[in-house]
Amino acid sequence: MEDIDDSQFKVEYISTSGVYKTPFTLIILLQLFVGCLIVVLINLWFYNDLYYLLTGQRFLSFLFIGQWWEWFLLPLNIYGNLLLFAFSIILFSSVLFKILNKLCPPIEGVFEKGSKEWKYTHRRLWTAYFPIWLARSLPLPWSDIFVYRFLGVPIGKNVVAYEGYIDPELIEIGNYTMTSLNICIFSHLIYHDKIIIKKVKIGKACIVGPQTIISPGTILQDGAILGVNSYTWVNQVLEGDLIHVGTPVKLTLQIQSVEESQKKAEKIKGGSLREIDNINKSKSRGNR
Amino acid sequence: MFQPASLKGDSPTPIDERIRNRYLILYFFIIILSSIPCALFEYIYLGLFWKKGLYLWFFFLIPLNIMILIYLLQLSAILISVLFLTIVKLIYPPKEGIFSRDIKKKDYFYWNLRNIIKKWPLFISASNPFPWFKNRFILRFFGVKIGKNGIHDNSWISSEFVSIGKNVIIGMNSTILSFGIEQDKFILKRIIVEDEVLIGAKCVLLPGTHIKHNTKLSAHSYTDFNQILEENSIYMGHPAKLK
Repeated sequence: MEDIDDSQFKVEYISTSGVYKTPFTLIILLQLFVGCLIVVLINLWFYNDLYYLLTGQRFLSFLFIGQWWEWFLLPLNIYGNLLLFAFSIILFSSVLFKILNKLCPPIEGVFEKGSKEWKYTHRRLWTAYFPIWLARSLPLPWSDIFVYRFLGVPIGKNVVAYEGYIDPELIEIGNYTMTSLNICIFSHLIYHDKIIIKKVKIGKACIVGPQTIISPGTILQDGAILGVNSYTWVNQVLEGDLIHVGTPVKLTLQIQSVEESQKKAEKIKGGSLREIDNINKSKSRGNR
Repeated sequence: MFQPASLKGDSPTPIDERIRNRYLILYFFIIILSSIPCALFEYIYLGLFWKKGLYLWFFFLIPLNIMILIYLLQLSAILISVLFLTIVKLIYPPKEGIFSRDIKKKDYFYWNLRNIIKKWPLFISASNPFPWFKNRFILRFFGVKIGKNGIHDNSWISSEFVSIGKNVIIGMNSTILSFGIEQDKFILKRIIVEDEVLIGAKCVLLPGTHIKHNTKLSAHSYTDFNQILEENSIYMGHPAKLK
């Protein structure tokens, strides 16, 4: 735990969040084994019953004796195994995640490579790796928001937060926020041999445009819009109800209604848009 | 790390449609050949464990079975595609340079053919759920030199004419392109990334860039054609400039 004053610490470049492979990565095998075990135990009982119904014999001795209505569970079983497998792993790994959080709660600051915080962020990210991969390969589109909620990330109601990379710790997302395709929301950055950890706050009814990067420490106030292809610097605050554009964010624009933008166009062109349209049409007709 | 399915690092190499349609059979042939070892493995597994008294073992070893199956498919796909690739490279060895984009020209045609052959193993390794033996492992088979102790798995790296040093961190969603298509021209040039380099998130390296020792490229920037980034410095912008 080596905190450096944030005011003195200047970030010269934005890098990326990423993790090295540590021995703790083998946790994925444990998660896979637990998920398979739960699925297999339930299937064993079910298929044993079906086998009993068909042949009158059992290949394993369970107490339960088959009943005719169990045939109706078969279609549910085929599709439900997918969900059962995924959600058992999600629940199991969320429990693991909370235990890791208790052992070493995530703190903001700058930490050396090899320190306790560095190790535990790696462990947390590796425990979150497999359930999120599973949730994203499920046919349900909103399932990875569930995973983030299980892991303890406060994500509000009616949020569109899929199809992008989001760190599973120290992130807040308010109600009615939309994040679009191919975004990166980082709450930690690699910086030389250190790691920068800072909380990211995204307020209510924000829009994060496609191909953007939100770096640690940024605060999007309620109703802020981050434009396409732009990224934020560390500790940047984006004011509410405005459009922010730039690499890194420099320009701020007002949100306009269609009528307002039409009025502005009229001022520039010196006439109403419809008249200009008509003139253009008549010109083109004349040319023909 | 955990990227969504649409960004998982599968190869976006634009294979020419005229060539793609003609060599579809080759693509399917590679898929079928690579799945034969998996079928054999499953046959042996069933024969060994589906007996009286071993039913429980059959079910409890299924997680191990799945892991072995995934890696067996990946390995056999790599080996078969490498076999085809060596044959194609013997017929016409790949060269750097600027060529015209015409399927009758040998350079462009064989580049497309190589991409068709590499497509299946790259797809398999990109959709592998486990973080071991992914990107770096497979690119080494195709002749890309990649050093140890790096982070490469979140990015997309071209499978030809790239050499990457030790301790290199390549950011999320960044792409390293050793090929470029400019109107009628088609460019192939080697990219060199030396040791201890950091490339930020969403960077694009265009063909011919040379990043020297211990240089940092900030996030969301791209390099120009044949740009050389000097050592021990920080670059950022569109295209990248010294900071």
